[in-house]
Amino acid sequence: MAKSEKELIAGLADAVIHYKVEEARNLANEAVASGADAYKMTMEGLAGGMEVVSEKFDSHEYFVPETLLCAKALYAALDILKPHIKQEAGSAKGQVVLGVMQGDVHDLGKNLIKAIFESAGWQVHDLGRDVPLKKFVEEQLRTDSDIVMLSAMMTTSMVGMKKLIPMIKEKNPNVKIMIGGSPVSERTVDEYGADSTADNAPNALREAMTMLETLRKGLAKA
Amino acid sequence: MEQHTLIFQPSGRRAKVAAGTTILNAARKMGVGIEAVCGDNLNCGKCKVKVMEGDFPKEGITSSLGHVSRMAEKDKKVVRELHEEIASATSDEARAKAQRKLDKLKKKHAELASEEMEENMRLACSTTIHGDVLVFVPESSRTSEGVVSKAAGKIDIELKPAVRKYYIQMEPPELSDPQGDFERVRDAMEKQHGVKVETMDYRALQWLPDIIRHDDWKITVTVWNGKEVIRVEPGKVEMNLGMAIDIGTTTVAAYLTDLETGEVVMTESMMNPQVKYGEDVMSRITYCMLNPSTGLKELQDTIIEGLNRLVKNATEKLGYSHNDVSELTLVGNSAMHHILLGLNPEYMGAAPFAPVIHRSMDIKADRLGLNILPSGNVHIMPIEAGFVGADNVGCLISDQPHKRDEMTLLIDIGTNGELVFGNKERLISCSTATGPALEGGEIEYGIRATPGAIEDIRIDPATLEAKFKVIGSDKWSDGKMDMQAKGICGSAIIDGIAELFKAGIIRRNGQFNPDLSSPRIRMGKSKVMEYVVAWSHETAIEEDITINLKDVRAIQLAKGALYSGCQMMMRKLGVESFDRLAIAGAFGSHVDKEQAMVIGMYPDCDLNKVVFLGNAAGDGARIALLNVDKRAEADRIARQVEYVELALEEDFNERFGEAMHFPHMLDKFPHVEHLFFKEKTKV
Repeated sequence: MAKSEKELIAGLADAVIHYKVEEARNLANEAVASGADAYKMTMEGLAGGMEVVSEKFDSHEYFVPETLLCAKALYAALDILKPHIKQEAGSAKGQVVLGVMQGDVHDLGKNLIKAIFESAGWQVHDLGRDVPLKKFVEEQLRTDSDIVMLSAMMTTSMVGMKKLIPMIKEKNPNVKIMIGGSPVSERTVDEYGADSTADNAPNALREAMTMLETLRKGLAKA
Repeated sequence: MEQHTLIFQPSGRRAKVAAGTTILNAARKMGVGIEAVCGDNLNCGKCKVKVMEGDFPKEGITSSLGHVSRMAEKDKKVVRELHEEIASATSDEARAKAQRKLDKLKKKHAELASEEMEENMRLACSTTIHGDVLVFVPESSRTSEGVVSKAAGKIDIELKPAVRKYYIQMEPPELSDPQGDFERVRDAMEKQHGVKVETMDYRALQWLPDIIRHDDWKITVTVWNGKEVIRVEPGKVEMNLGMAIDIGTTTVAAYLTDLETGEVVMTESMMNPQVKYGEDVMSRITYCMLNPSTGLKELQDTIIEGLNRLVKNATEKLGYSHNDVSELTLVGNSAMHHILLGLNPEYMGAAPFAPVIHRSMDIKADRLGLNILPSGNVHIMPIEAGFVGADNVGCLISDQPHKRDEMTLLIDIGTNGELVFGNKERLISCSTATGPALEGGEIEYGIRATPGAIEDIRIDPATLEAKFKVIGSDKWSDGKMDMQAKGICGSAIIDGIAELFKAGIIRRNGQFNPDLSSPRIRMGKSKVMEYVVAWSHETAIEEDITINLKDVRAIQLAKGALYSGCQMMMRKLGVESFDRLAIAGAFGSHVDKEQAMVIGMYPDCDLNKVVFLGNAAGDGARIALLNVDKRAEADRIARQVEYVELALEEDFNERFGEAMHFPHMLDKFPHVEHLFFKEKTKV
């Protein structure tokens, strides 16, 4: 018997929370086949599930391995649902340019950020890893993204941010810059002229929401 | 003076020593490594050895406890009395007073408190020899590097040093034979030793005319690589010294070596003085990047100065001059290598991690400002790949996996974990970002392995109570005694987490088990769960020493990196197991191999397959110092080993994630799983 919309949403959320990749994929297919609203499935099911994952991460119940698996389940379903999301319905909350600094190939943190942001309805322009500095500047200009997020897992690659941040701000003073990765601290934010940092993906999302609000308020005033 | 025969087991070293010598001093002279943390102050109890009783016909001696100095009977009695006093004390004050007295006495004579005294155990630092004895050095008392390096253990290698000394006698020139001094030396070398020297170092040449005439045309010629004269000395000189140095990120070890015998005549070590610029390699590279005109020079000067101090100390202790050291061989990780040579480390510090040079180098000492014989050679070992440096090459020529049929998985644990896997057919290497957690860095109460550091932790799964030992004392904590604990050293973090896991306090995913309760398990100040290892009254820092969830997470990341590295290396070569697991590095030697397997630092295997190499990098430097063929071999393997960038593997993050569980999310651990906590199943 076909599942109701409510059942599908609950099922998708559960599949993400308990990282059941196969089930996430099956339910997404079922949703598409039954003509359910893909946007609703994504936002209420997948994103709803991912929110719980964030909470579990915050309360230290989940750590990197679990979150990675949740992200895997999330993408299994998202890949199927995405083509069915109507453009207007899926108008993004905000846009970010995301990438790992030049000279750095550690992209685990970046991928988790991507999963959390996409599930929350953000449009993520993922530049991948070992990204040349000017690529960030170009992509920000091209997409007119609200936030640029830079990740570095080594101090040697983090140093590049010092040069990159003024490059981005010069082209677009309004853009907000968030930096992250194990060597990044509050001090780095001050020293390099970034706007903020976060120590994990859920916190990054909260930070980004705040930044987006500030940006939009600023624009409304202007 | 009266001499007695002293034999050490298991090393088998024997010597005649003067009556009244302490066992420890004799051991030092004989190159037997015995741990002596407290500096002969009788309070660490580390140097315990067993004095054997009986006839040993094979060794040809009769050993007896009566042949060594006795424990002070009087103190023994006092200890007994104090114990009685404590037990029968009527007031807390009296008890505390007696306890203080006892603690003081114990500190002075840690040996007296030892239960092992009944088994003929003695502290080597305070026991003197008065007759023939056979002394067994238990494993716990052997120096970690001792076995392989510090103990001056002879490396089993054909002596073929680059530096050789030759004594020659010449006829003085005459008007009928006005040949130049150099040509005279050259001809004499060929005639008397069959060695065809080609050149003479400029500085040696400047000394030549006077030295050659100083002692009736008899000189000793120091030749490097069979071609170049680097020193001339009047008369006959036999001592031929070289030094092998391992520049670690944290510690530097130097082995002054007699090139004629291969014996290490003096070992010196120190903290790497660059530590003040940053604890790890990355922060030092960053320092160079952020201070473009001065940083590299500062760091280079700092290490050169430090090395000069090591050379000076080692030579002066034996009455030699730094000029008597004719050659240095150096190993170190790629960053240490670049900085020492004043080569910009910036580019090797980030992907694609290309070093300035791979192959080995020979540089005159004075070019680098190293105070050995100025014309002496400094041999820098080759680099494999960006992060797999000369130290790893040192491990390879020491352990020789490239000559074995068995599949060896070689792990060098430091701030980075370098792995080499394979056998004589093929070797691959990789570097894993273990971070400093395994060495106690980024751990709330993590400290270096110095006296006062907790070095061993045991947790009783039934009571969830902990006991621990600190470096500098052999007593287990009893929950009451002031242990003067200062923090937890790296190997004990592994211990602690393994124990927490075995007791079921933390689960496979690293989380604290909410179903267990104990005063030791609580919500900590930093808002995460923690387990109290030492109560504040047991510490010297007046606060509880704990292991918290963040520490567990840091270890999960580190060991996950290492484990997934091992796993992917095996996959690369298409095999599912290995025949040997060789662990190099000082940290590796202190870690308990079973505990490390319990938390899943490396894949499951028969524990007998796990071997500790000690300071294999340092051994590699020594081997290169003693045999020039090995230098060529090092260059060859350094290029043969194929470097694998793990982060580029498609599923790296996934495998890494799985490996963060204790011991692993999927893989089985048949050799240690009986130790794991069994969740009680409800009926």
